[in-house]
Amino acid sequence: MFTPFYAAIADISATIRRHRDRLGRPVIGVLPAYFPLELIHAAGGYPVQLWGAGVAIDHAEAYLQPYCCSVARSVLELEMRGSAELIRAYVFTSLCDTLINLRELYRRLFDKPILGLSFPVTQTAEGRRAFLVDAAEEIIKGLEAVTGRRVSPDALRESAGQFGQLRSLQRELYRLRRERPGAVKNADFHAVLKAGFFLPVEEYGRLLESLLAGLESLEAPAGRRPRVVLSGMVFDPLEAQRLFDEIGADVVDDDFASGWRTVSKATLQVDDPVEGIAEHVFGGAPCCCIHHPKNDRHDYLVNKIRDAGADGVVFWYVKFCEPDAFDRPQLLARLKQEGIPATVVEMDLSMKSVESLRTRIQAFCEMIGGLEI
Amino acid sequence: MTQLGAFKKMKELMTLYYIEAKTAADKPIAWLTSGAPVEFVYAMGAIPVYPENYAAMCAAGHQSVALMEAAEAAGFSQDICAYARTDFGQDLVRGGPAGGLPAPQFLVCSTNICKTVIKWYEVVARKYQVPLFVVDTPFLHDGLTPGLVDYVVAQFRQLERFLESMLQKPFDRDRLIEVIRLSRQATGLWRKILDLGRTVPVPFTSLDAFIHIAPIVTLRGTQACVDYYQLLYDEVSGRAERRIGSVPDERYRILWDNLPIWFKMRRFEKFFDERRCALAAATYANSWGGLADFAGIQTRDAMEALAVSYLNIYINYGFEQRIRYLARLIDEFSLTGFIMHSNRSCKPYSVGMYRLKEELARLTGKPGVVIEADQNDPRVFADAQVEARLDAFIESMAPVA
Repeated sequence: MFTPFYAAIADISATIRRHRDRLGRPVIGVLPAYFPLELIHAAGGYPVQLWGAGVAIDHAEAYLQPYCCSVARSVLELEMRGSAELIRAYVFTSLCDTLINLRELYRRLFDKPILGLSFPVTQTAEGRRAFLVDAAEEIIKGLEAVTGRRVSPDALRESAGQFGQLRSLQRELYRLRRERPGAVKNADFHAVLKAGFFLPVEEYGRLLESLLAGLESLEAPAGRRPRVVLSGMVFDPLEAQRLFDEIGADVVDDDFASGWRTVSKATLQVDDPVEGIAEHVFGGAPCCCIHHPKNDRHDYLVNKIRDAGADGVVFWYVKFCEPDAFDRPQLLARLKQEGIPATVVEMDLSMKSVESLRTRIQAFCEMIGGLEI
Repeated sequence: MTQLGAFKKMKELMTLYYIEAKTAADKPIAWLTSGAPVEFVYAMGAIPVYPENYAAMCAAGHQSVALMEAAEAAGFSQDICAYARTDFGQDLVRGGPAGGLPAPQFLVCSTNICKTVIKWYEVVARKYQVPLFVVDTPFLHDGLTPGLVDYVVAQFRQLERFLESMLQKPFDRDRLIEVIRLSRQATGLWRKILDLGRTVPVPFTSLDAFIHIAPIVTLRGTQACVDYYQLLYDEVSGRAERRIGSVPDERYRILWDNLPIWFKMRRFEKFFDERRCALAAATYANSWGGLADFAGIQTRDAMEALAVSYLNIYINYGFEQRIRYLARLIDEFSLTGFIMHSNRSCKPYSVGMYRLKEELARLTGKPGVVIEADQNDPRVFADAQVEARLDAFIESMAPVA
């Protein structure tokens, strides 16, 4: 059932090339996070999401210090070594200081169009709107210049519907994972999500529908295994996700920027695109990169854990991410107060082996779930 | 540092400032980022306190490590900004030269220096359960636009409402205009002092500027700040007229980019003196001069002027604008080379710096060097490595004509 998803991510370039040639749409690489892919699709582009890769950093070393995160370093590495030739243009958001500067660095280094959408940080709806009116117009013009096609209201409505439907299918998969722990292996689950970074919306939607149909009758395995919720920015490396399957623990929900925080976004409202974009950025699950005091991460995470019936939380820390790291001590304190066990695993997307994470995850799972070894 | 009579006055001023902040029972305390529009806060009679300034003081007094270790023991990763860690540490153990900062009643942070301050201030807001107002000054990827100015002005209006609710009194627009006038006077004097770095030999180096920067950060908007910089200007301009240099027998004139390395001030002073290098201009020190551009502020356009000055901050610039600015400094200050501090604690300043160095060297024909360090964390600093790089760089420079 999971074969097509694994096939899609086995050779990502081949996957993208095949679909690009078939669709005749220019490939647009989207950096983290929360850029409305609907806009790219409506402009006739083929968005692919770049959440970093497990490659050795060689060329990118010349431009990004070792204290930059491996998401930024690996994405730059791929472009510099010529592995991203399929990408016609890049789109950035103002997610963090590193990505804001990376957008500038790309403008200096590469001839490809470098587009961006800065998110307003202000709290009032009027303030956001005032900022986004110009920002939305600019990004749409930029996309139209890349694809040579206008973003018509009809096209936008069509794309919003497709992506909205896609995320709703992903949410079904999340529901299934939550309600039937262990029915889907953790590595398989993340392979499905990851395939969605690179497959075109139509193709991915079809695959998800058939997957969900196939999973419908699947029961959770008998017996209760330790149940965890994962929290972090990116869920990669995939091999590290496999560790939970090997250890015998069930991931029942997550709070990943590349996972639920994106999947939870509602269908883009297109009657008023500016309002729609604001809602897309600020709506859905809270994120450490989106200042939004009314959408509190603490209550959110506690509720998520309770709702999922989880035994504990693993903070999935991809090194040097300041927004993620700043929040953690207070989150840990809150979880402690609530009697929810938690642990932190540190990693780097370019790590050669994920084995070093195994002991820590295993010890934690034993502690929370009486796991026998 | 250069022996200046004004130094004693500054020490006094800063001591008084911290004493007032620590003892004022009748005035609310606000914590602000260094690039926040403090004028509004002063206009309403609250006392602004600057964790960044305090963190720098802790590092300069070699007290930052113990404080950062306290924060790290409380779970804060070494990956986060060392200023923030120093601040969290002082808050936990009541440490540093003033025995810790007074607790805030509200917070104002501006994104012009980084987006990371949002995270820092969220932590403080949660700890003290106090409101946080963010003044969003978006990164200028393509320069300043009227839309961005309007956006910031609109937030200023909201800031006024916020302060009214914090202080339980109507916002005092007349007082604001007066504070802005004082702020502009002080930044104007500060700019004039820094511009004296064009003089050969340099009468007031960037290392001096890093020391004398404290009042423009913490007290701009007050008469005391204006008076202080008038005093300093008189002294430094006197030195410039008499061609008294800060560095014995000045041979090289250098640009410093990024924050100071606060815990190495003395060692760097000796190092550069011995090599006859004068740090003549610094992007960091220049960051508090913006309002000086608005000579005749009227009530009507005061908000716009303020918005522009808080948007137009060097590390809020796109790279094209940064390179042009750096090249202009190199030209106008007759510099022989530039040092870029790749600062682990400051991503907006540092990410992309290797490329900026390449382009700037190509554009100006002047040699540059990148040193790996941190503004506040001596544990990630290696004297031998940094000084060897600096020595190689100094050898590559042609002396001043």
